[in-house]
Parts: sequence; C-alpha cells; structure tokens
Amino acid sequence: MTLIFRILLIVVSLFTTCYILKRIRQSKLQIEYAIFWILFSGVLIVFSVFPWLVSLFTRMIGMQLPVNFIFLLFIFVLMVKLFFMTIELSTLENKVKDLTQELALEEKERRDEQKDEAVSETAERE
Amino acid sequence: MKCLVIIPAYNEEENIVRVIESLKEHCADCDYVIINDGSADNTAGLCRRMGFELIDLPVNLGLAGAFQTGLKYAYRRGYDYAIQFDADGQHRPEFIGPMLEKIQEGYDIVIGSRFVTKKKPHSLRMLGSNLISLATWMTTGRKVKDPTSGMRIFNKKMIAEFALNLNYGPEPDTISYLLKQGATIAEVQVEMDERIAGESYLNLSRSVMYMLRMLLSILFIQNFRKRREVKVR
Repeated sequence: MTLIFRILLIVVSLFTTCYILKRIRQSKLQIEYAIFWILFSGVLIVFSVFPWLVSLFTRMIGMQLPVNFIFLLFIFVLMVKLFFMTIELSTLENKVKDLTQELALEEKERRDEQKDEAVSETAERE
Repeated sequence: MKCLVIIPAYNEEENIVRVIESLKEHCADCDYVIINDGSADNTAGLCRRMGFELIDLPVNLGLAGAFQTGLKYAYRRGYDYAIQFDADGQHRPEFIGPMLEKIQEGYDIVIGSRFVTKKKPHSLRMLGSNLISLATWMTTGRKVKDPTSGMRIFNKKMIAEFALNLNYGPEPDTISYLLKQGATIAEVQVEMDERIAGESYLNLSRSVMYMLRMLLSILFIQNFRKRREVKVR
C-alpha cells in the first residue's frame, strides 16, 4: 500500500467515526445502529495503521494486490449489511402498515359504537 | 407518594396471571400497568378477561420501547416513582418495599441487586455481568454489583428523562452513562427466582451480541453523549 492510500484510509475512517459520534451526541442515532459503523471504521483504521496485516491476508488468499483484498472484503461486508438492512426495512414497513390499520380500525369501531348508541336512543324515545 | 409498577410482557400468558396476583398481594399501595409488547400469544386477551391494567401495543417494539411506553404513562400521570418489573416471575414483589424505602432517601435510581451481600456464582452469565461491572467501574469509578438486574426503581426526574429521550433503554449502558453524569444510584439486596414457564430471550449468539453492544457502548460511545436535562413538571 502506498503512503497516500494509507493516509487517505486513516482520514476517512476518523471522519466516519467523528460523524457517527456527533450524531449520537445530538441524539439523532440509536446506539444499536452505530455499533456496526464504529466497528467498521475501527477495522479501517487498523488496516491503515498496520498494512502488513492486509498483506498477510492477501498472501493467504493468493491475491496479487493488497488493495484488491480490501475492496473484496469491504464490498462483501457492505453487501451483507445491505441485505440485513433490506430485511429491517421490510419489517419496519410492515409495522407501520399494521400500526396505521390498527389506528384507523379503532377509530372506525369507536364511531360505529357511537352510531349504534344513537340509533338505540332514538328507538327508545319512539 | 404515587408509585407505578411497569411490567413489559412479551408472550407471557403462562406467567402473567401469577405475577400480577402476587404483586397485588404484596404491594397493595402501588399502581401497576402491563405493557403488552405486541405478543403473538393471548397475553392481552388474558389480561382483559382478568380485568388487569393494560396498555396494548399493536406492534412489537422490544423491551426498551415497551418500557418507555410505561414511563411515558407514568410521566403523564405524574407518578413519583416507577418500577421496572419482569413479567416472567423472576422478580419478587416483596422486595419492592425495601427498594422504595431506599429511593426515598433521595437516590435517582435504585437497583434490586442479587449481589450486595451475597457472592456472585461462577457461570458464563456472571462472567458477562462482571465484564459490564468492570467496564462501568473503568469509565465512572463507581461499582455497580449487579448491572444486568432488570429490577430497578426510578425517581420523578429519571422518569421524565427516560420518557422523553432517545438512547435511554433500561440497560446497563444507560446506568453507566447516568452515573458518569452525576446521577445517584444505590443497590438493595433482593432475591430472584428462576423463570418458571416460557422461554428466555437470551441464547448464545444474542448474548454475545448483547455483550459486544454493552461493552462498546459503555467503554466508548457513552463518553461522547451530551445530556439533555428534562424539567420535571
């Protein structure tokens, strides 16, 4: 890895961490969701500070360039993350749907009850 | 003094009746409310039939969301103290009295702790508990002997703070954060029973994730949080 690439990696990962922490500080991000990104940028920092680690893994797999190993690893990690986010999104959408239906049904049932009461009252008066 | 026992329940139809009956028996002067967290079983129907106080969430929010619902209720109704209490029968209502006495000495939070006077047994679960204690001690300089205990009392100020903010789950990392911010926390010796029916939420992979989340949160993330104090109305 070239020096410039290492510096770039360090800077990017530090920025990511700072930004995540800022959002938590402002109470905009739940800690559960921050954990992944903090670990992710942590790995990024470790790789840029100790590039021999990357070279080691690259040789173990039998790849030519350490950069390729980093690309492969991160693309894979991000794909898995994306897949799990899709599942979460789907669950979330389902919950919002259930919630909206529940609210609307409750409101309708309440109005039906009121209507029934009004009908029985007029029936009594007659 | 108004005091509310908050009982989050998820699929607890086998336990809930027994828990509520024994709670009514031992703590007649406390109000209680069950928060049904979108259970798939008949927890809500059973509570309605028995005439229990119930808030029925239409979707599943998880423990933090369900408990916060109870705290919002306590906040709106102006309760002085709120108690976090399990629906699975692990917590014993006869210890609520001593915990209430303790919090009236002026603490913000009182934890019903299994290990004030008794020693921790050696098990994998307690190793996790020790690690969390250690992390809390490292960042706050204070010792919490049973940080994972789910039996806690909160005073009026804490009710408001928990009810209105994000990232205030009823978990050890919030306790550690509040300790760091100068909240006063005490522990009272209690005994807990083993869960009688139903299944525990924690399996191995969930436990590992839980530990990872707690340790990273206590050791790292909590140092960067800004506190938003809430005015008690």
